[in-house]
Amino acid sequence: MSRRVYLDHNASTPVHPEVLAEMLPFFSEQFGNPSSVHGFGREARAGLDTARERVGRFLGVAPEEIVFTSGGTESDNLGVKGLAWARGRGHLITTKIEHHAVLRACQWLEGQGFAVTYLGVDGYGMVDPDDVKRAIRPDTIGVSIMHANSEVGTIQPIAAIGAIAHGAGVPFHVDAVQTFGKVDLDLTNVDMISFSGHKIYGPKGIAGLWIRKGTKMVSVQHGGEHERRRRAGTENVPGIVGLGKAVEIRGRDMQEERRRVTGLRDRLWEGIRDSVPEARLNGHPTERLPGTANISYRGVESESVVLGLDLKGIGVSAGSACTSGNVEPSYVLVAMGAPLEWAMGAVRHSLGRSTAAEDIDYVVEAVEPIVRKLRAAMPVGAA
Amino acid sequence: MRYSPALLDHFLNPRNAGLMRQPDGVGVDEYEGCGDLARFFLRVRDGRVSEVRFQTYGCGPTIAAASAASERVTGRTVEELLNLKPQEVEDAVDGLPDDRKHAADVVAGALRAAALDALQRPRGGVQ
Repeated sequence: MSRRVYLDHNASTPVHPEVLAEMLPFFSEQFGNPSSVHGFGREARAGLDTARERVGRFLGVAPEEIVFTSGGTESDNLGVKGLAWARGRGHLITTKIEHHAVLRACQWLEGQGFAVTYLGVDGYGMVDPDDVKRAIRPDTIGVSIMHANSEVGTIQPIAAIGAIAHGAGVPFHVDAVQTFGKVDLDLTNVDMISFSGHKIYGPKGIAGLWIRKGTKMVSVQHGGEHERRRRAGTENVPGIVGLGKAVEIRGRDMQEERRRVTGLRDRLWEGIRDSVPEARLNGHPTERLPGTANISYRGVESESVVLGLDLKGIGVSAGSACTSGNVEPSYVLVAMGAPLEWAMGAVRHSLGRSTAAEDIDYVVEAVEPIVRKLRAAMPVGAA
Repeated sequence: MRYSPALLDHFLNPRNAGLMRQPDGVGVDEYEGCGDLARFFLRVRDGRVSEVRFQTYGCGPTIAAASAASERVTGRTVEELLNLKPQEVEDAVDGLPDDRKHAADVVAGALRAAALDALQRPRGGVQ
C-alpha cells in the first residue's frame, strides 16, 4: 500500500502543526493550574484567556460566554440537560437525526419526566421550520436542533428555526459540532451552540459550549468554581490553548477552504456517479457541508465497500454498522425515508484541508471495481 | 490487523463466486437478525462435490468465508459436507473476530443445506 487518502474528516481531523506548536509549552513549562494564584498558575490562566478571546472573536460573542468542556458529547449534554434541569419540567423539541449525544440525553430526560418531540426530516434530511412551529406547546422549554448532520451533511435552516423559537420565547440550542469553523452560523436567534476541537484540526478531548448571557442554565457536574461555575473541573489547559489556536486558524482559512473543498466534494460525487451504476447521493444537493458526500450503492453492503477501500489505503466510513451479527441501517437515512437496499449501502466520504484533487481521482478509480465485484457475488434480490 | 491476510485475499479475489446452471444441490442460510446471506450451489459427481459456486450478501468476512469454504469443500463427499462445522470455515480464513463469527455460521449452514438438498434429490440430480 503506497497511497493513503483520509476521507473521514467528520470523524476526526489531524492536529494542525501550528496548533500543536502552540499547545506544547502548556504540557511542560506552563503546566500550572489556572486556579492557582502564583506565577505558574497565572501563566496557565493567560493561555486560557487567550483561547477564550479567540473563540469569542470568531463567534462574535463575549469571551465569558464560552464554557470549555471535554468533548462535543459533554457540550450537548450540558446544553440540553442544563437547560431542562434549570426549568424542572416541560417539553423539548429536537429531531430524529440528531447526534446520539443529543438524542440519548433527550431520551434520558424523558425517563425523568420531561416530554420530548422528535421531528422528522424530508428526503434530503432537512427539518421544516413549520414543523417546529407546530410542535411548540405552552410548556415547551427548549429546542435543540443540529446545524448539520454528520452523516449526510445537510445544513438545517437554523435562522428560520431560531426566529420561530424566539418568537415563542423558547431557548434554542444548536449542535454545531460539524459546522463550527467550516461554514458561517448566524447566532441572532440562537442561545447555545456546541462545538468541538478535533473536528477542526484541534486536539481530541476539548470542546465548548457557547451560552448566551442571561440564558437560564444549571451545571450538570459539580465541584469547583471553574468556568464561572458552569462546568466544574480543572481546565484542560493544553487542549483549550489548542482549540483556541485551531479556531483562530479557521477564521483565517475557512472561506477559501470552503470553496475549494466544495469543488472537490462535487468532483468526487460526479466521478462516482459517472462510473458506478446505481449510485446515489444522500443529503441535500446544495445545502450541505462543504466536505461531505454520502453515497449509496444499491444492494451493496457498505462495510464491504469500506473494507475494500481500506485495502487501497482509503479511509471512509460506513453508513450501516454490522456488530455482533446485527445490521442496523443508519437511523439518519431511515428518517430520510431511504429504502433499505439503498440505506444499507451508504458510504460517507468527508474531505478536509489536506484533500487534493489527485486523492479524489484515486478514490473514484478505486470505487468502481470494488462495487462491481461485490455485486457479482451478490444474490439477485437478496438486498 | 483486524482481518487475516487469507481473509483479505479471499475478500479481494473471491473464488467460485457466481451462479451455477443446473446444480445438483442448492442451499441458503441467513443469519437471524442480520442481513447476511449465503447461497451455495453444488455439482456432484460419484457422490463427491466436483464444483462449488456461491453468492453472498454481507460484510467482507462473509464473502471471504464463502470463497475460502468453496475451495476447501471441493472433492469431499456430500455426506461429509452434512457435518461441516463453522469452526472449519473459520479456520479456512485463519480466524474471525468475535463480532464476525456469524460469517462462518452462515456459510457452514448454507453448505450443509446444499448437501442435504443434493442427497434428497433423485440420483443424478436435476437434468
